[in-house]
Amino acid sequence: MLSRVAESLFWMSRYVERAENTARFLEVNFNLLLDLNDIAIVDHPNYWNPLIRVSGDPDNFVEHYTEYNAHTVTDYLVFNRQNSNSINSSIGMARENARSIIDSISSEMWEQINNLYHFLQSMTPQQVHNDPFTFYKEIKNASHLFQGITDNIFSRTEGWDFIQIGKYLERADNAARLIDVKYHMLMPKNGQEQDPVLDSFDTIQWMAVLKSCSALEAFRKVFLSKIDPENILGFLVLDRTFPRSIAFSVCAAQEALWRISGSSRHRYANNADRLIGKMEAELSYTTVDDMYRKGLHDFLVDIEHGLIRIGEQIHLLYFAYHTPKIEPHDISEALPFTGIAGGRANWSQSQQQQQ
Amino acid sequence: MISLFERYEACPDRFFDEVLLPEGKPREHYDKMIHRFGQFSTEDIRTRRQVVNVFFRNQGITFTVYGVDEGIERIFPFDLIPRIIPSDEWQRIERGLIQRITALNEFLADIYSNQKILRDKVVPAELVLGSKHFIREFIGVKPPLGVYIHVTGSDIIRDAQGRYMVLEDNLRTPSGVSYMLQNRQALKRAFPVLFDRYKVRPIDNYPQELLRTLQEISPTSRPEPNVVVLTPGIYNSAYFEHSFLARQMGVELTEGRDLVINNNKVYTRTTKGLQRVDVIYRRVDDDFLDPLVFRPDSKLGVAGLINAYRKGNVALANAIGTGVADDKVIYSFVPKMIRYYLNEDPILDNVDTWLANNPKDLKYILENLDKLVVKSANESGGYGMLVGPESTLEERERFAEKIVADPRNYIAQPTISLSRHPSFFNDCELAGCHIDLRPYVLYGKTPTIVPGGLTRVALKRGSLVVNSSQGGGSKDTWVIDE
Repeated sequence: MLSRVAESLFWMSRYVERAENTARFLEVNFNLLLDLNDIAIVDHPNYWNPLIRVSGDPDNFVEHYTEYNAHTVTDYLVFNRQNSNSINSSIGMARENARSIIDSISSEMWEQINNLYHFLQSMTPQQVHNDPFTFYKEIKNASHLFQGITDNIFSRTEGWDFIQIGKYLERADNAARLIDVKYHMLMPKNGQEQDPVLDSFDTIQWMAVLKSCSALEAFRKVFLSKIDPENILGFLVLDRTFPRSIAFSVCAAQEALWRISGSSRHRYANNADRLIGKMEAELSYTTVDDMYRKGLHDFLVDIEHGLIRIGEQIHLLYFAYHTPKIEPHDISEALPFTGIAGGRANWSQSQQQQQ
Repeated sequence: MISLFERYEACPDRFFDEVLLPEGKPREHYDKMIHRFGQFSTEDIRTRRQVVNVFFRNQGITFTVYGVDEGIERIFPFDLIPRIIPSDEWQRIERGLIQRITALNEFLADIYSNQKILRDKVVPAELVLGSKHFIREFIGVKPPLGVYIHVTGSDIIRDAQGRYMVLEDNLRTPSGVSYMLQNRQALKRAFPVLFDRYKVRPIDNYPQELLRTLQEISPTSRPEPNVVVLTPGIYNSAYFEHSFLARQMGVELTEGRDLVINNNKVYTRTTKGLQRVDVIYRRVDDDFLDPLVFRPDSKLGVAGLINAYRKGNVALANAIGTGVADDKVIYSFVPKMIRYYLNEDPILDNVDTWLANNPKDLKYILENLDKLVVKSANESGGYGMLVGPESTLEERERFAEKIVADPRNYIAQPTISLSRHPSFFNDCELAGCHIDLRPYVLYGKTPTIVPGGLTRVALKRGSLVVNSSQGGGSKDTWVIDE
């Protein structure tokens, strides 16, 4: 498959997922504020500032707006084309990517992205402000419809795997950011390892975090109504069955990467596979206690950085012209399983095929 | 005569009518078709029109019009009535085109090597050497099999007497062949029964023939030469065709940025590393192919491609520099080329052509602007031309200034009354519309032609311009076996 086509599939998928996640953050925040109406000041910047920290670039935000409130944050995250992560920018980019490979995707996939794009063009900030729930639901549904169409129509070829990688890397990254920011807000500043005293205020906020991942119902099935931060963290980060958890997303991305390269649990073909395998293994054997011991923030930042490195390696390996070589010290990390020859096998074969 | 054709006026005194004889009876090869159409009600036609429209829309068969801001993507208008060419007429066209393409290829091989024809003064040297499409650097570079023009699409017209004549030779990157193929598919859906009554020669093998031709010119000895299509990208007006042909041939559709040159060899960048390319069917003009050699601002090409080509590591179809021979000035010398290289009489005639850089001709052109069609030598697609009888005095005066300022760039031809073919203006009304014919000649080891071509039709009432960019449409074209 041409690198350009693979790259466009990856980014098309990634941008759709990004738009959906941004819509989720915003929707839940509005929801949350309605719940809190009686006990807190709704337009307080503290409720809006974290959204910018999750999904955007705070420096970029303050260049355009003077205060954090419902209007400015919505405008920045939904409409502003200067914000390359806004829903408008994301769908615009997804559409450009889809358009450039229109002969490689099905026409239904193209139509769905195109419809979503035109829907966004037709919306005004006032309309969103009047009825935010319908609007965010539209975005979420449109993304689900796109993914559903893709699931049902796209052949399970290499291209499919690139679509999956884009989607799940983005999802894992968003989940990590969301938990990180919410944790910052909610945990008491002293004595990190003690059980926090949860008042109803915090419970509602944690429920909001679950909701933004559509995780509340799935969570209840596992933990009944024990809404405490440890259970929630365990669920959103480590659960192997819930499709929006970090562990699930990393695992799904890993499977797709392995299908492309032919890697397996015992040998990796390239750096991207090595890094994602390492992350997946770590998530498999980590407990909530481990996370606390390391410090949750550090733990999540490690995941975010790890995901960025994986993205870079995928770019170098599959999309860019120059393919990287595995550095010797990386290979030695694989020795316990396969030995040097095994670790190299797939890689050197693909080198020979190029001659 | 039957219902649908009853109100149709052929005007045999002014135009050659493709379907009706001057006395009003149908020509023999159209007999069965007219009979069949006569059985259709307006409602039938409307239903079938709908079938065809849905087919084209679903296929995404659109083209882009330059210079229009809104709604640049349009569906190419398609006329339901097929154009029929009897086999004896087709044989003549086929022989004539092969003769012509052979001579033009000889000409290119000659001017890019010994330039015998220039030294023998059959073609004036300054016309060739001064052409902006003559690429001096390629003198002495011999393409595989000695073939320069692998895919061509000559435009053929018929005059008032029904004589077939070549109007221009498109030797660079002629487009439209996807419409030829799709028109046939569309018509088969709309009128399956009609095909039972005629032995229509099939054209569906064109993509395979094209692939075979492209593989034949591979410069390497690899058993399965890797062919790619090179497109300028999604904003090009013919992007649909590029992607269509790539899919039909089962080869990769690439853009410039998908190709890299390493050690003077061409590769595609794939997710499995670099893959060697042997043949490029390029739909990018010479000027944009390689920013190192031609336009440095081109983002459509591949840096280093020309060197790889010169080293013989990759074949380009068509070869570089073929534009010099489809210059409208050089066109007027093609009959002489045929005599010079092949020692034969031309089978297909040229249209009379006056060259503005010949003082005697220039005088004639300026005096008769209102009767002539004046064309710029290097433009295509119906841009930059003046149709004398349809022009205003002011337009003619403005054009005359341009001609005098740059005579080498203009030629004039008599306004030919193109033959007419009944076509639908709307669901129930037929009118005679001017048509031409563009058959596609493939040239690998030998020249071959898929029977038929694209019949373009001027659907604007009275218009003589059939280019798709100027509001023309097309018809399915049948070559029949008697």
